[in-house]
Amino acid sequence: MFAIYRRLWQVNWAEQWQYRADLLLFLTGWLISPIIFMAVWTTVASAQGNVNGITAPEFAAYYLVLLLVTIATSDTTLNSLSYKIMGGGLSYQLVVPVHPVLTQMLVNNLASKALQMAALTPIWLILYLLFHPALAITPTNMLLALPAITMGFLLQFLANATITCLAFWTTRGGSIMSLYGTIFSFLSGQIVPLTLLPLFAQNAAAVLPFRLALYFPVQLILGTFTVEETLINLGLQLIWCLVLLVVFNLVWRAGLKRYSAVGA
Amino acid sequence: MYILKLLSTSIKSNLQHDLAYRADLIVNLVLSLIGLGSDLFGLSIIYANTNDIGGWGPSELIILLGVWRLVNVLMNMIIWPNTFNFNMSVHDGSLDYTLLLPVNSQLLISTKRIVIWHLFDFVIAIGLIIIGLAHNTGITSPLQIVAFLGLTLSGTTIIYSLWITLISLTFWFTKFGNSIVIMSAVLDAGRYPAHVYPFWLRALMTFVVPVAVATTVPLQALRGELQWWQAIGFLGIGLIAVWLSSRAWIAGLRRYSGASS
Repeated sequence: MFAIYRRLWQVNWAEQWQYRADLLLFLTGWLISPIIFMAVWTTVASAQGNVNGITAPEFAAYYLVLLLVTIATSDTTLNSLSYKIMGGGLSYQLVVPVHPVLTQMLVNNLASKALQMAALTPIWLILYLLFHPALAITPTNMLLALPAITMGFLLQFLANATITCLAFWTTRGGSIMSLYGTIFSFLSGQIVPLTLLPLFAQNAAAVLPFRLALYFPVQLILGTFTVEETLINLGLQLIWCLVLLVVFNLVWRAGLKRYSAVGA
Repeated sequence: MYILKLLSTSIKSNLQHDLAYRADLIVNLVLSLIGLGSDLFGLSIIYANTNDIGGWGPSELIILLGVWRLVNVLMNMIIWPNTFNFNMSVHDGSLDYTLLLPVNSQLLISTKRIVIWHLFDFVIAIGLIIIGLAHNTGITSPLQIVAFLGLTLSGTTIIYSLWITLISLTFWFTKFGNSIVIMSAVLDAGRYPAHVYPFWLRALMTFVVPVAVATTVPLQALRGELQWWQAIGFLGIGLIAVWLSSRAWIAGLRRYSGASS
């Protein structure tokens, strides 16, 4: 099992290096939006002292950490899955005794992730100097953030994989994905810190698991959680990961039965 | 006259193309509405926590959103699909056939594919501008509105000209097609007034990808912050951009050697 992952890693790592120019383009697309939000909110906060108790340097810290967590936890490869399902390309991977999503795509994702993080580091340092964030990272928080980020990644990966599997049933899964993406961006803290949302959205965010994917790891690194809250949230993450793993497997199996292997 | 005839033919053939996928139309309209809802919700969050962004009120940000969405209609309706077509045709040499036609080639490659259903987004953008204007109390003279409309038009033309220039550069640097991705990423900054951004980002969105000229500048005219000579100056820049980009296109064509023969 481990040997398979190691081999896949080597293949995917080499593959990622082939397309390093595309990677830079990808990063530009991703960088702009958090920078815009960071600029808008730091301007508003410095004009009136603070926004709901958050000062300009705290906004800068929030968005800079968010940038790291977003790139570390988001998935970049699953959109190819829907094409493979609809176009029949999945057939080739189904005859290989390795799970196409949970092994092949997962490792592919990790490889692109590693390279993105490497490319992001210098840009991140420049942004750090430009925006003067109030950032005090302690070793304890970083250590606790590792499982939080890992599970945040798994949450997003499994949820997206499940939704992408809708391609087994409909060719228009894209619009559902887009609606999901919009809800996710607001309730996961990707657009603003959750405390700035209107009350109904805050309540929704508190109940739904979206915040566990981004907001929780970010706040953990920023050090705003007590030990108790941290443990509860890590537990919740674990539970949701298991739930999503079960749901994904059910949907995947049901989908495979319907798979018609176009072009075969 | 002949330009209009060419345009209407292109629109007709594209309409036929899009009508073949009617079910997609509904999905795309729903996606448009989701996008609009998300933009407005984003603005409402900001104004629930503050009275102004860099001195600008809600009605002004709604107008700005409308203008920014106009630029995006241009991107999605014309620039993206035709960039794809253009890159393919340079790659496989089918550009030869376009060039052989006795028609202005720049017009032909920029209107070959028009994604008709984006007209819905166009209506939304115009609607936002009208609603914002109706709620704006800061307008004192009709001249401000005239300047606003003129500068919106010329700003959008500058973005179009930048695109023509970028794809002309493909003739020199074959891998240049990706620059459109960067251009579209920077365009995203246009949804908020340029002066809230730090200096380097403002410089980027004014001089490299002039989205600030297309979105913030018209709003400044509406707020009466521009002198008459500044407004004329920006309109002049628009005309120069159109002229320069058509020169770049012609110079690029001279370098084109065809891939098929």
